[in-house]
Amino acid sequence: MYRDARLGVAELDVIVLVKQVPNTAEVKIDPRTGTLMREGVESIINPDDLHALEAGLRLRESHGGRVTAVSMGPPQAMDALREALGMGADAAVLLTDRAFAGADTLATSYTLGKCIRKLGRFDLVVAGHQAIDGDTAQIGPQVAEYLDVPQVIRATRLEVRDGELHAERTHEDGVEAVRCALPALVTVTREANKPRYPYIPRLMAAFDPNAPIKTWGPKDIGADERLIGLKGSPTQVQKTFTPKLEKKVEKLSGQPAEMARALVGRLKERRLA
Amino acid sequence: MNSEEMLRRTIAKFVDNEIIPVANDLDEKETFPRDLFKRLAGMGLYSIRYPKEAGGSAADNTHFCIMCEELARGSMSVAAFTAMQCLMGTDFLFKYGTPELRERYWRPAMRGEKVAAFCLTEPGGGTDLAAVTTTARKSADDVVITGYKTWVTNGPVADFYTVLCQTDRSKGPKGFGFFFVPRDTPGVVVTRKFSKMGTRATEISEVIFRDAHVPREHQFGPDGSGAALLNSKLEEIRVMTAALSLGLARAAFDASLRYANEREAFGRPIGKYQAIQMKLATMATEIEASRLMIYDCTRRMDRGIPAMKEASMAKYFASEAACRAADECTRIFGAYAYSNEYPASRFYRDTRFLLYGGGTSEILQVIIAKELGL
Repeated sequence: MYRDARLGVAELDVIVLVKQVPNTAEVKIDPRTGTLMREGVESIINPDDLHALEAGLRLRESHGGRVTAVSMGPPQAMDALREALGMGADAAVLLTDRAFAGADTLATSYTLGKCIRKLGRFDLVVAGHQAIDGDTAQIGPQVAEYLDVPQVIRATRLEVRDGELHAERTHEDGVEAVRCALPALVTVTREANKPRYPYIPRLMAAFDPNAPIKTWGPKDIGADERLIGLKGSPTQVQKTFTPKLEKKVEKLSGQPAEMARALVGRLKERRLA
Repeated sequence: MNSEEMLRRTIAKFVDNEIIPVANDLDEKETFPRDLFKRLAGMGLYSIRYPKEAGGSAADNTHFCIMCEELARGSMSVAAFTAMQCLMGTDFLFKYGTPELRERYWRPAMRGEKVAAFCLTEPGGGTDLAAVTTTARKSADDVVITGYKTWVTNGPVADFYTVLCQTDRSKGPKGFGFFFVPRDTPGVVVTRKFSKMGTRATEISEVIFRDAHVPREHQFGPDGSGAALLNSKLEEIRVMTAALSLGLARAAFDASLRYANEREAFGRPIGKYQAIQMKLATMATEIEASRLMIYDCTRRMDRGIPAMKEASMAKYFASEAACRAADECTRIFGAYAYSNEYPASRFYRDTRFLLYGGGTSEILQVIIAKELGL
């Protein structure tokens, strides 16, 4: 556990949750089936999670300790963890098994929580605010609930001081400063920092057979099979579709003053002005 | 994803976010971008070819060329000074330098704290070793270097030089050696940087050695090994230059394709006209051919198979293909290519760099013919 700097030991065990997602900037939805057309679309680390990794790495750099990246996903999610090692994570765990497939946020949070418990000691779990493929922002809070630790959501700045987490959350009308005891869970937004690029020697070393990446299945983390994957998911997606947006264009012509009057008239008709 | 794909993606992301947006500015300023140089070191790029035990990535030729290709897609200037720092500027220092020299110069070079340069070409010749007149005379205590080197990439900003010298004219090809010369050695004079057509953010100059004294342990390799050491690197230099060419050709193609879809003439995007389509089709085909030649060659080299012919062919073809691609790019952009506001002009000017570094097309054709037994 974290020990106060005044006692001479101030190392932090940080766990960062990382999700591999399709690069939604490139993803289209098949209009016939309503499903994501993932073919040929690259998978990336969820952008908010890069900020979570950066936050975790900076805390380690200030306090010493260890950063472990954890991801649940298909075997190719290993790429996300290799990238995390390249950025500087000390170790990584990939939770992969057919039994994990089809998990909703509750089953995913349970699985990640079990993994964190299995890892043992931790001072802080850092996660991205939300994933670009689901946009639920539920994983962080649910994992915190499972672990029964305090949670700080949507942090834009964080530091550990005197054995506590100090964070800032930016709102429309100001900045909220919060603090809580450790261990805790914090989710961060893109404003939190600028993620570093991977260090190439570390990134290449992540492909070595002895790279510090563990692959765990349900048994390894002692998961109840009824609570993981599709079976453990009370919510199931029935259909994905792109809402139809209809546009009607009307071009106004004439002198500028006439066009301005006409435009104001149209806006009033539609009760937009 | 394998490590090659991961490396390409990682470098490409850096290039897209950090290099392409500033590439035209770098070209305009005509100044070595020291901050960017340090940032590349921060990613561990300069040590990519060196062993893991030394802090490197132990990258093979394929990985190294992928890195060079992606950097050249962003900026040929950045790719040129990076390649110098990774390969010829530091290679002999790492392999043959004393532990003290490595600690004092090689390690800081990997961290981006010192800049490396390689002095080969002289006013009287480049490829022709017999024309090298810079001499290294051994005395009881040290070595005295005297001569005139030109077209030294990074010359004006370098902290140290690897210099090819003649050690004994009577011994022919066995009368050459490479020597390590720190810039602050008395007698080392760096001329002002050249005003150049392309690769303008890489600084190039002449370096003059006026009886520059260096310790005897600054000799790389055994006596008379200069020509052999240089020959041992030729395949790497050529295929690397081919990869730089491929990167530039891709940049010219990408810009051309984008422009062909955006620019309209007579009510349609110009890409809808066959005249433009044929240009783009040819560019794409030659890029693909370059890619196949380069990575076939690197895979041979990575398996330890001699590839002088393949490396020469790859460099010859890819550099000429890059010239053609950049030329077509300027035609597709029309008059806008004539303005430095658009990258087409930079691509066109930068391609000329590729025609000379690593051997001209003409000398490469001679080498290929020789390899064919002619």
